[in-house]
Amino acid sequence: MKYVTTIYQREFIIDILDEHQVSVDGVTYQIDFMPIGDQPVYSLVVDGHSFDAHVYPNEDTWQVIFLGALYTASVEDEREKRLRAALAGRVAEHADYHLKAPMPGMVVSIPVHEGQVIQKGDVLAVLESMKMQNELRSPRDGKVTRVRVKVGDRVEQKETMLSVV
Amino acid sequence: MFNKVLIANRGEIAVRIIRACRELGLQTVAVYSDADRQSLHVRHADEAYRLGPAPSRDSYLRGDKIIEIAQKCGVGAIHPGYGFLAERADFAEACHEAGLAFVGPNPSSIAAMGDKAVARATVSRAGVKVVPGTEGEGALRDDELLAVAPAIGFPLLVKATAGGGGKGMREVNNLESMPTLLNAARREAEASFGDGNVYLEKLVEGARHIEIQILADGQDNVIHLGERECSIQRRHQKLLEESPSPFVGDDEEFRQKIGAVAVRAAQAVNYVNAGTIEFLVDKSKNFYFLEMNTRLQVEHPVTEMVTGIDIVKEQMRIARGRCLRHKQEDIHANGWAIECRINAEDPYNNFIPSTGRITHTLLPTGPGVRVDTGVYIGFEVSPYYDSLISKLIVWGETRGEAILRMRRSLEEYKILGVHSNIPFHQRLMDSHRFMAGQYDTRFVEERFSIEEAEEGKESRPEIAAILATLVAHRQTERAAHVIQRNERDTSNWKWLSRWERLRR
Repeated sequence: MKYVTTIYQREFIIDILDEHQVSVDGVTYQIDFMPIGDQPVYSLVVDGHSFDAHVYPNEDTWQVIFLGALYTASVEDEREKRLRAALAGRVAEHADYHLKAPMPGMVVSIPVHEGQVIQKGDVLAVLESMKMQNELRSPRDGKVTRVRVKVGDRVEQKETMLSVV
Repeated sequence: MFNKVLIANRGEIAVRIIRACRELGLQTVAVYSDADRQSLHVRHADEAYRLGPAPSRDSYLRGDKIIEIAQKCGVGAIHPGYGFLAERADFAEACHEAGLAFVGPNPSSIAAMGDKAVARATVSRAGVKVVPGTEGEGALRDDELLAVAPAIGFPLLVKATAGGGGKGMREVNNLESMPTLLNAARREAEASFGDGNVYLEKLVEGARHIEIQILADGQDNVIHLGERECSIQRRHQKLLEESPSPFVGDDEEFRQKIGAVAVRAAQAVNYVNAGTIEFLVDKSKNFYFLEMNTRLQVEHPVTEMVTGIDIVKEQMRIARGRCLRHKQEDIHANGWAIECRINAEDPYNNFIPSTGRITHTLLPTGPGVRVDTGVYIGFEVSPYYDSLISKLIVWGETRGEAILRMRRSLEEYKILGVHSNIPFHQRLMDSHRFMAGQYDTRFVEERFSIEEAEEGKESRPEIAAILATLVAHRQTERAAHVIQRNERDTSNWKWLSRWERLRR
């Protein structure tokens, strides 16, 4: 099975030949790959070199942590890659931004109101969690709509607080 | 003399105190909120009683309820740990009135040091230098603060009068931005302490945060256990501490000088039990009193590792009316200790707190390693309390050995289920400035970025790519097993439930 795996804009063509062999950009490696204890922890031995890694999904990517560094990888098989290439450019460039609570907590302040025109970097909400106040900022310019929470509300993780169009 | 102690706290510090009690042969009583029924401190204690719902104000801040429980189960003393009720003079007073020993200083010392303006006035009278600011001037209004600010000079800090831990603190670089920042500081102070009063303090540039551990027995014996270096901070929250300080190093004369001043500051308030005097030290080794923490500190283990003294046990002995077992000349630092605070935070995402269930944890062990923690596999990290998961402490003969030992311990340490700041500490251990001991309190915010630090490091993207691909491939194959119908004898529902169990 052939995959195209991208890490920081660098593409690797990875072919899983069988249980003990993979080829990376045409070079074949002997591998021994094993999950540890029903957890997202994996032991990988590549040509005798041992790596212990934590690998977990995050939205459309895989997060790989080993030797104290984090790598974000996107893994596509060849069909997915063709599909994405065909779609590229057709995705709306100014999709609505929905501010989601990055963690459960309490809304301390909403310094914006519906209809307000804001700029990238403006504070949209202040959320308190674990005794820390966190300022949540807008990633782009736009107009505030659908403010769904008010000061004093408790929000769950990933709950949508307001939108920017 | 008491034989049973109630620990009015939770998390790693409650576990730490229970351990000291166990070794002293004291009975232990834990208290817990609904969020902590399964916590380690509840499971390790001899007795445990429910306080109330998860929020602190309904549980760990309910001093009345805690004293009621203590009296009902025949406790002789209450250890408050740090945070919560530890620095509340009214709580210490209530303990005394209820006939309970409070493992800490007298209420009057807590009150004197608790209001920072009063604290600065008290120690100045004892001849200890303080940082220029609006000390001892009471609750000033915004217009008064704005008027006095230019005389103190910029940059300066706005700090909460009742504050601590960086809450309600703002840095001001000019008069124009001051009103907004004052507002923000007051808002945060009001939310955190129920007191919106703030004061101004000159910002000492290139400053190091160095603190002195004190022990006092109330029988005229006050000693210090040397210094701790706490300059590695982010938003005024300490992240790493070490003892001795690489800045003080071999300068034994300076160590004894600053130690003697700390002892004097403690004597100024007739201090009893363990406490810490925090100083700001500038490049020329001028030092200024910052504040006194009238309690056990989070970072007390680094001092324990180098002096060999169990500070919590000493606290118990002092509370039982014994005099100190050590004289100043008996105290010598042996080797070097470093502590990393392991927090449930995402270091790759602006240190946003992370909550969830710990699905897997593997603790580092081996020579010279100590882990103080309250979590285990299955533990739920909730949004109700602070984000400290554990403290990883190492000891080495030299600072170099301690750094290398910390590096290997961090590599061994696995925590899954929540994000942790372990990668941050790993990058810090690789930083040349850290290795050389050349850092001040602004180092983390101004000179260190985890992304940049990773760029410089030898990177193995091809290994990461193989790992990600193999894991993705494995998942696709598994999913395919479920989709292919009619190819097995068991029903699809059974398969689905098995598959879901696998994914858990």
